[in-house]
Amino acid sequence: MVKLAGLSLNEQEFLTDSLKQGIRSDGRSLDQFRDVEITLGDQPGYVDVRLGKTRVAVRVSGSITKPYEDRPFEGIFTISTEIGPIAGAFFENGRPSDEEVLVSRLIEKAIKRSGALDVEGLCIVAGDKCWNIRADIHFMDFDGGFIDASCIGVITALQHFSRPEVTVSGEQVVVYSTDEREPVKLSILHVPICVTFALFNPKEKEENIKGGADGNEEAGEFAIVDATMKEEGLSNGTLTITMNKNKEICQISKSGGLPAEGLMVMDCANKAYGIVEKLTDQIKEVLKQ
Amino acid sequence: MSNKELYSPEGLRLDGRRWNELKSFTCKVNTHQTSSDGSSYVQQGNTKVMCKVNGPLEPKSKANSNNNNASITVNLNIASFSPVERRKRPKSDRRIKEMMTILEKTFSETVITKLYPRTQIIVDCYVLSQDGGILSAVANSVTLALIDAGIAMYDFVSSINVGLYNNSIPILDLNHLEEGDMSFLTLGIVGKSEKLAMMLLEEKIPFDKLETLLGIGISGAQRIKDLMDEELRKHGKLLISTAAS
Repeated sequence: MVKLAGLSLNEQEFLTDSLKQGIRSDGRSLDQFRDVEITLGDQPGYVDVRLGKTRVAVRVSGSITKPYEDRPFEGIFTISTEIGPIAGAFFENGRPSDEEVLVSRLIEKAIKRSGALDVEGLCIVAGDKCWNIRADIHFMDFDGGFIDASCIGVITALQHFSRPEVTVSGEQVVVYSTDEREPVKLSILHVPICVTFALFNPKEKEENIKGGADGNEEAGEFAIVDATMKEEGLSNGTLTITMNKNKEICQISKSGGLPAEGLMVMDCANKAYGIVEKLTDQIKEVLKQ
Repeated sequence: MSNKELYSPEGLRLDGRRWNELKSFTCKVNTHQTSSDGSSYVQQGNTKVMCKVNGPLEPKSKANSNNNNASITVNLNIASFSPVERRKRPKSDRRIKEMMTILEKTFSETVITKLYPRTQIIVDCYVLSQDGGILSAVANSVTLALIDAGIAMYDFVSSINVGLYNNSIPILDLNHLEEGDMSFLTLGIVGKSEKLAMMLLEEKIPFDKLETLLGIGISGAQRIKDLMDEELRKHGKLLISTAAS
């Protein structure tokens, strides 16, 4: 994903060799997700997620605007991502790079397109007033797994956030301050969680593509869960699977990279489900407090 | 449009196809002899895509120069008259940028880039008409144009999409009405293998249906590969016969 940030040839070889033997530099097994630390802020809608050294801050806010003309009965939900040099020296300020576009599109697809937030519930007066819920993702530190961390962040922040109560009488819309009336939670329809796999091919490219033909050749390629920055830089491509606890796949994205066997994708999806179950429970636990 | 008409109880779709039938697929290669090194035209139903390949050439900017591999740049132009309702899309549209990046990454892996160090391969795609499956049609046309340009590749990349109707019936090669109404999976397969070079799913499907969709998609993509191969061989024979006479 990111260019190899100052990784020497020796280190590259060492990391790939040990991965081939199933050993990771941080002592995890190949299909183990890093421990996730979710901290809720004082205000509703602020969440800080740490995934190893990766740190993402998500802030959800709401305001009242006019709905889109083609969708008069729906509120507006936007997700904005900002990757600046604060996350790492290799991220540049200004124009988003291709990678960044992919990351932000992926998060958008995982949460917005999958209908995690019930936008119809955000409508106040059809065609005139609706809530505009905005999730700002700030990447504070980077050590791989941006997508996974920000997805956890956004979905937790959405559940943590509550908007002021609004009543409509005739033409008049009254917004009550949080002291006057209990604020309302957003309605979240399901909890999508992203799991990213980094794909590795220890052999030559040619063997990967042609090797399967004779049948006796064992497929050498393998996938590891939740790669760190170094592992991500070394990998030959990534595969992101988004699922929820109801065993629905919300999104799959494998944009190029190492050609992978269909069976391997199925295997990854199975592993992803285990992780999704665990993380959903963890989010629930955090929100209970 | 009500959901029910998309797939009739008799097993027919809006355009009269069965669930596992492809849109009519035609392709041509070497359509733009003077303006490019390789070119192609792909028509899948009413989706029409044109593709031109220039290169390997000297990189226009240093940023595109890599000492070990060729760098592939894909430009995607979606004509404003191509959808059913005329709509202008800025080139900076994130969806278009996403597709461009996906194509670049996919083909960087299938073209033998190490044979062309310090060069750039520029791919220009033009979508002339949209009727579903733009990304797959573009990927198919890029494969053909790259082959026409004589650029060394490990194998074909053939692409197709598969939808899931009513969360139960898989449907191959969707048109734009079907695409708007069901979740679908876009696949890119390498050659005759069952290896996925690219894979995209944007909306929800139940987990246990994934395997079925993959299986149907892979066989559909292989059929597309055969059709492209046939056309390329025909074109090759034509070239030889004109050269001989």
